[in-house]
Amino acid sequence: MSTLLLSQSKSLSRPKDAVKVYCQISAMLSVLIVAIILGTLLLQSGPVLSLKDTGLFTTEWNPDTGQYGMVPMVFGSVFVMSIAILIAGPLGLMTAIYISETRSSRLRRFIKSALELLTGIPSIVYGLIGVAYLNVWVADAFDLQSGRIILTAGILLGIMVLPTFLTLAEDAISSVPLKFRENAKSLGLYRHEVFKQVIVPQAKAGIAGAGLLAIGRALGETMAVMLVIGSLDRLPSPLFNPLSSGQTITSKLGREIGESAFGSVHFSALVFMSLILVSITITLTLISQYFLLRKNSRV
Amino acid sequence: MFRAVNKRHFAEKCFALTTRLSLLLCAAVLLFLLGSILFQGIGAMSLEFLFTPAREFGKSGGIFYQLFGSLLIVLIGALLVLPLAFGTALFRNAYNSNSVIARVMDQSLYALNAIPSVTYGIFGLIFFVNFLGAGISWFVGSVILAIMMLPTVTLSTSQAMAAIPKIYNENAAALGLAKKDIIRRVTLPQSFHGVVTGLLISLARAIGETAPIMFIATAFSGVKVPNSLVEPVSTLPTHILELAQQSTDPQALQNAWGASLTLILLAAIFSGLALFLRRRLNREGRSS
Repeated sequence: MSTLLLSQSKSLSRPKDAVKVYCQISAMLSVLIVAIILGTLLLQSGPVLSLKDTGLFTTEWNPDTGQYGMVPMVFGSVFVMSIAILIAGPLGLMTAIYISETRSSRLRRFIKSALELLTGIPSIVYGLIGVAYLNVWVADAFDLQSGRIILTAGILLGIMVLPTFLTLAEDAISSVPLKFRENAKSLGLYRHEVFKQVIVPQAKAGIAGAGLLAIGRALGETMAVMLVIGSLDRLPSPLFNPLSSGQTITSKLGREIGESAFGSVHFSALVFMSLILVSITITLTLISQYFLLRKNSRV
Repeated sequence: MFRAVNKRHFAEKCFALTTRLSLLLCAAVLLFLLGSILFQGIGAMSLEFLFTPAREFGKSGGIFYQLFGSLLIVLIGALLVLPLAFGTALFRNAYNSNSVIARVMDQSLYALNAIPSVTYGIFGLIFFVNFLGAGISWFVGSVILAIMMLPTVTLSTSQAMAAIPKIYNENAAALGLAKKDIIRRVTLPQSFHGVVTGLLISLARAIGETAPIMFIATAFSGVKVPNSLVEPVSTLPTHILELAQQSTDPQALQNAWGASLTLILLAAIFSGLALFLRRRLNREGRSS
């Protein structure tokens, strides 16, 4: 209220306030950047959208014959993301329960800072670990010639999103007031019953938010996936075979943007894929923010 | 009755066991990741490795120009984002009283945070490298990284500003200070720690980014210190990428581990500084 009055009286008495103008310009730029990025992508998607017979929604990608089917890449992204979430989801949730229920605050702090350390590892380094170890292990385990397959990418991605999901899920679980747990325990409920009947209903929104954020991260991750997925622009056969090489939207972009000529239809098709990806990740993040802010007012 | 209790007891045991196993598995993954980077990286690490240029396309020699290029790009990026983030946070907290505008600002910062890093690279390639005709240039890389840092720095600054006790502002206003003097005397010193920690945290993240800069700011070999704004540099992440793609060559892999360890240590220095400063500046700022 006081700031409101203050700014009004000031703007009346002194119409030209340099600091204010500077702040307004900064704020406008910050808000406009998102619009500029999306606008630029949309503009560059023009060529491939205006052409006919590009077969955007088919499974055939071949720039030489003008075929730009995105289905294998979109499928690959969703497939790899699903494997990652199948790994990170249960593992993260169970660990989050353990951490939040533990009585040792020192252990809790220690685990939390170790997790922060993990989120600090750049994705290219995860990629290197994937290439040097995971790749070889998966190839040995399934007796394959090369470990550069969808499963490897999924496992690596699962490890990468685990800290994000774990931290946020743990926040959601520990934000459930202590008295709820104590009441439930004093009624003689076992811990798994307390969890299922008291904590989950309370922390549902927070956990969902964490999950959506993890999905968004997983879909947008580029470097690590690109190094281990094998870059094959075809649908796996049979369709849900995680042991075949594949391609995600991001790995496709990482591999081909540099090779395609700027302004060509090929480039435009890649930009269009990127636009689809951005629309999905932004939507997921905004929904997840809604969930996280609703339950966790301290975020 | 007896049976039901037994069943519940059994479920409880299973539940406890699963949570413990999950924690152990997570810890094992953590140890493996950090251990392998440390173990493999230390083998390649030496002062000579850090301070000699790469030879034979990175297979031998060190990472001097990569180290230089990485630091150049992120530090200039931080300088670029500083005024923008500060102005935006100041507008949000000092000049704007409209909750709709505040919400739009928050949402667009969250959206900026949600954009995948590879998309930033594509945007930079279209907008700066081609529309504005900058060519492959390290400065474009700095600009793109600055945009990526914007949400973190702005939100951190904004939180620090929002945490300034209201009474400070009211006292300053009661003393007859003009708005811009209040900003200079109260808001700026009291929210300084927010700016610095935000910058350091986003520096730690930006230095490891590969996808945003690999099309627009870097060249793999033959690059030294740039003479102008529009030349490419070589960076640690893109160097690791190139070396990782020759993963059958043990010598190249060895250097990739060394570069990875260097990268992680740099990121750790930035985040460690952030933690340290947050504690110190918090204490100084609030002590009065």
